Order: sequence, then C-alpha cells, then structure tokens
Amino acid sequence: MVHALEEIRRLLKPTGILIDIHPVAESSPIEIHQGGKIDLAGDLSVRQWCTDYEQADMALSEITQRGLLAVERESVFDSLTHYDSVEELRTGLKESIDKFARDAQSADEAVPHAEALAARAEELIQAAVSGAELIVRERVHISRLKPRFPT
Amino acid sequence: MTIRTDPENNEARALSDMANFSGHHVLEIGCGDGRVTWLYADKAAHVTAIDPSASQIALAREQLPGQLQGRVEFHDIAFEDFAAASSPSAFDIVILSWSLC
Repeated sequence: MVHALEEIRRLLKPTGILIDIHPVAESSPIEIHQGGKIDLAGDLSVRQWCTDYEQADMALSEITQRGLLAVERESVFDSLTHYDSVEELRTGLKESIDKFARDAQSADEAVPHAEALAARAEELIQAAVSGAELIVRERVHISRLKPRFPT
Repeated sequence: MTIRTDPENNEARALSDMANFSGHHVLEIGCGDGRVTWLYADKAAHVTAIDPSASQIALAREQLPGQLQGRVEFHDIAFEDFAAASSPSAFDIVILSWSLC
C-alpha cells in the first residue's frame, strides 16, 4: 500500500488532496434496536480485516513520516448498516466474507464467527416484539492529506 | 431485500467536511458499486471511479443517474494498472474509498 500512496501522490496536482476512508481496526458491534432499546448480539471481529486496516494505518504513517503526504484533518464517524431480517444479515455478512477473505484460512475463521453472530441475532429478534431492527455499526476513520514536495 | 448503508448520512457529512468538490477533477479508488461516488459526484467537474471488480463496476454503471452521464466514468481496473497508464498531476482530489489498494 505504500507504493500505492506514492502513486496517488504522483497523480495529485501540487494543490490537490487525498481523502482516505477506511474502517478503524476494531470489532464492529451487531445491535438489535427496538423501541429506543439496544441489545448487543455480539461483535463482528475478523482478525484478517483488522490486520488489513492496521497495515493501511501503518502505510499512511510511513508515508507521512517520509514527508510525502501531510495529514491536514482527520476524524472518525459511525457507519451503520441496517438489515430488515436475520436472513439479510447472513447474506450481507457472507458477501463481505466472499469479498474480503482472500484465503481459505481467513474464510475458515470468518464464516463460523459470522454464522454464530447471526444465530445470536436471530434469538434476540425472536424474543423481541415486531419492529426490531438489526444494525452493524462500523467505526470509520477519514483523513485529508496534502502532498508535500521538496522545496 | 433492503439493506441500507448509512441512511444517517454520517459518511456524506464527513466527506463534505473534508473537501469542497465543486469544479474539481476527482479520482475515486475502490468505488465498488458507486455508493460513495453518489455522495459527491453532482458537485465535481469530472469523476473517474475505478474498482478491480467488473461486477461492481457493472452495478455502478447501471445506477448512474442520467444527469451524471458524461461527468462520471467507471472503469474496472486495478489501481496499479490505472496509475501506470496515467499522467502525473491529473487530479485535484483522490478518494481512497474503503480500499486497501
């Protein structure tokens, strides 16, 4: 990713900016919202994804330490994905795993974990009255960086 | 199936806090189905949005609103290949969109 950031700097005009958006390297709670009450079904935590995001953070850190890009502004926000049913959650998690689990070992870790979370969510939904909503909450880091050039 | 991502518009707010897209040439890396692209594309002068997944790019093209035709172009290409074929200093804003390149 360091090489990609060097290439991004090359593609930017000297007055340009890079906006980097990626999830924070931590687990994502799966919540059941109902009538102002929030129950936690569990935390979606896949080691490979956290490792990927940590590596993204390290690459950004390296490139700023080398003086190629400078962070001008940064913040964190919550990105909430709403599912109307446990089946939707299962499908959504499966699609994420298919997309991001790059090798068999990480898929072996992610699939049973996601399935266990979906089963727990199903128990909570069944215990709730109608109108409960399933939400996966991800913390997302956003930063604005400026290219720096030797004077 | 109705999966809704960020109906609270937290990401749109965070993005507009970070940059003024008006009149700018934007490159978005890892655009997927265009979910983030739609948050700013109407303000930009031109958007080049890339993703290595042909199926995601096909979805993005299908959803491209008529008023953005000609202003937004989607390409299914890996960033390293795109960069190798691109001139330097071509973009005002680059968005690395939930992408690890």
